[in-house]
Amino acid sequence: MEEEYYNQWLCSLVGMTNQAILRAVDSFGSAKAVYEASAEMLETVFTPFQKNVVMESKKRFSSPEILHRSYEQLQEKKIRFVSRFHPQFPKRLLEIPDIPMGLYYKGELPGEASLSVAIIGARECSAYGELVARELGQFLGKKGVSVISGMARGVDGISQRGALAAGGKSYGVLGSGVDVCYPQSNRSLYDQLESRGGLISAYPPGTKPLARNFPARNRIVSGLSDVVVVVEARAKSGTLITVDMALEQGKEVFVVPGRVTDGLSEGCNRLMKQGAGIVVSYEDFFEEICSLKRQTNPDRENLNEKLRKELRKLEQVPKEKLPDIPEELFEIYEKLDWMPKTLETIQGEMGTGITMTEVQVMLMRLCMYGVASQVSPGAFRRV
Amino acid sequence: MYSSIFSGALLGVNAGLVKVEADVTKGLPTLNMVGSLGSEVKESKERVWAALKNSGMEIPPMHITINLSPGDLHKEGTAYDLPIAVAMLESLEFLPQGCANQILFLGELGLNGEVKKARGVLPIVKMAAEQGISECVVPMENAKEGAVIPGIIVRGVDTIMNLIAYLSAEKSEKEAILPRVEVNTEELFEKMQKQSDLDFSEVNGQEIAKRAAEIAAAGFHNLLLVGPPGAGKSMIAKRIPGIMPPLSVQESLEVTSIASVAGTLGDRNLITARPFQSPHHTISPAALTGGGGIPKPGMITLSHRGVLFLDELTEFQRYSLEALRQPLEDHVVQISRTAGNYTYPADFMLVCAMNPCPCGFYPDRNKCRCSEPQMKRYMGKISGPILDRIDLCVELKAVKVDHLLKKGEEESSEQIRERVEKAREMQRKRFHGTRYRFNADIQAADMEAFCELGAEEQALMEQLYQSMGLSARTYHRILKVSRTIADLSGCNRIESSHILEAACYRPAQDYWI
Repeated sequence: MEEEYYNQWLCSLVGMTNQAILRAVDSFGSAKAVYEASAEMLETVFTPFQKNVVMESKKRFSSPEILHRSYEQLQEKKIRFVSRFHPQFPKRLLEIPDIPMGLYYKGELPGEASLSVAIIGARECSAYGELVARELGQFLGKKGVSVISGMARGVDGISQRGALAAGGKSYGVLGSGVDVCYPQSNRSLYDQLESRGGLISAYPPGTKPLARNFPARNRIVSGLSDVVVVVEARAKSGTLITVDMALEQGKEVFVVPGRVTDGLSEGCNRLMKQGAGIVVSYEDFFEEICSLKRQTNPDRENLNEKLRKELRKLEQVPKEKLPDIPEELFEIYEKLDWMPKTLETIQGEMGTGITMTEVQVMLMRLCMYGVASQVSPGAFRRV
Repeated sequence: MYSSIFSGALLGVNAGLVKVEADVTKGLPTLNMVGSLGSEVKESKERVWAALKNSGMEIPPMHITINLSPGDLHKEGTAYDLPIAVAMLESLEFLPQGCANQILFLGELGLNGEVKKARGVLPIVKMAAEQGISECVVPMENAKEGAVIPGIIVRGVDTIMNLIAYLSAEKSEKEAILPRVEVNTEELFEKMQKQSDLDFSEVNGQEIAKRAAEIAAAGFHNLLLVGPPGAGKSMIAKRIPGIMPPLSVQESLEVTSIASVAGTLGDRNLITARPFQSPHHTISPAALTGGGGIPKPGMITLSHRGVLFLDELTEFQRYSLEALRQPLEDHVVQISRTAGNYTYPADFMLVCAMNPCPCGFYPDRNKCRCSEPQMKRYMGKISGPILDRIDLCVELKAVKVDHLLKKGEEESSEQIRERVEKAREMQRKRFHGTRYRFNADIQAADMEAFCELGAEEQALMEQLYQSMGLSARTYHRILKVSRTIADLSGCNRIESSHILEAACYRPAQDYWI
């Protein structure tokens, strides 16, 4: 138990990579030993910056009692911590490369015995993606399967809501601290997940949702699940990073097929061609994952290797050719999507210092060049 | 004996002079009334008779004839009681001959002799002043309303006894009996001008809608707000009168006259705030345009010089909306009845609000499940000709939490009004000596004269026209709105950015399903 205080302390250091922490624990033997190590000894495993972080933190937590206190403070905030050395640490995560040092969580961790499925996909999903995400979430929730996802906008959050609505359990893996709700629009989901599933993060409480945190978050999403389902993904998308990690971790990947003309399904369809599992119907999918569970498929490795190759290829897909428009309009064109976006959203994404009138004028110019269209008085999309 | 007394009749929101004549002769004792009278006027003799009796006057048994001239003008309302009573008393020689010369009387009598409130005092007093009548005696409650008209003495009277005392008194004592009611119009104006409690600073976010409201107010363009319930459409609409320039004294008298005729003036003497009318969507065409045997002003007349706000535009009856077409074009409404033609002013700015689709979430296809036929049906409820008269269309989104929490960063109505007034000033100069007042009025034929474009802008308009498949009407609307946007930024020339911004507000039906 005492060792957990030190483990938590190591995890709470800001600016540390998981690798550096593991290296230190390996070479000193335990987190406690890292805490007690001298500055010179620390220099042998950490970069100078990381060493300073450790030293600064040691000044703040100058005695084991203060460490205990900070651990207890977390408990008071209903935030729990479990390190990779703790018996309650999810077994599934112990099987992946680059095991996180520890997890912070609110609510509970996914059950070891029950099946767990990650449902992932585009943030800007289509109505079709939304429908499938919700129905699949509901279906799995009803069957008692845990739904794991990143609580993001779009497919992630919708599938989790579906699972909860059906009375199932769902777990949100966050790229921020577990006490930070991001995106704000998923506030109600965040609250429900705490009481009817769990909120999980490798980052200490209070961490902001930084872009660089998300790939590592994705690793945990796939790591915590037995199977990963992709509902909608473009050829180049963040979702495919999670898929790559799942394949690397040896997980079975399923995709939801989409229409040929639909850019939002291109990633799924390409993976399907290379032999990824296909969600033909929810029942069929459920039968397949039941038979897969905990059994190693000798062909799996080969298949996953093939799928990863496809992902590399997808990365090479040339960036969409920019249309023939004046250079000053490129930036705003990039912000547009095939799904309508409101003027407010576009202005927000363009950053500060640009007035709404300027945004309107630029968008109207795009319309004139025939590369955008005004679908309603306040919303635009690409053409 | 014969006597003749002045009174007034309402003709729409204007008034006409009516003479009440009384003649007394020996004969069968009766009281006859003639002169194309409505039923309220016919009943008048009972009220007058009882009021006089109860005020202690013994009416001798004579043959009395009352005539209200001109005889071909249909007369309505209860305000003739007082002039009839005075005419009778004078012809019966209860009052000295000629004591009521050059005085106009208005007022309803109670059976106990009290004088009750009348409708339309302001326009009648105004007419009296124009006709050169020197004095008006009106019910005490309406006295201040009439007194805002300069150049005429207005006295308020509460009982018929007091009026008799006043009319029979020596000249020197008159003032003490019924003192002249005076109102300092300018002071009143200044005092009341600062009373609007709705301010744009209370509207959080909705930047585009506010901008559109500013443009609409500057050029007197009609505006359509589209957005889900609760986005703040009504909130913005209600604040539009507050960013228009304040009413001039002339306009204020017009607006007050209308309210006086409609009986909505209440205890105000003068209306100095621009009207804002928001009728419920079940309103009938007659209530909107004005109606009744002798038509009363409708909502469009009550919003003269101000804003008519139609919330839930798609829910209005088709006939009600169609009735707006002619007034929107002519700025007056003509109502014909057997009794005559009535013209009411109706120079209002039309602000409409509606949901983007039956469920309210379009174009957010993640939430909106409305099918195309459903949406077509929904949009189809509004007739094209009405949408054709709307220059600006803007979409509102549900307000985000962070906008609600932000405080004190929003512009006040006064700041916006300053810009609007500058743009109005530019329009005043531009349209001096023409029939136009605002950019919104410009007709297609005069477009070139007032919305002149440089070569570059001309090319842009052509490109817009072709790439967006605009109609000729939309083309002109974009031009008018860009003229206003240019005015707002103080530019004499319309620039490309003005045109493109205007195009962004182009009316809905061009791209909506």
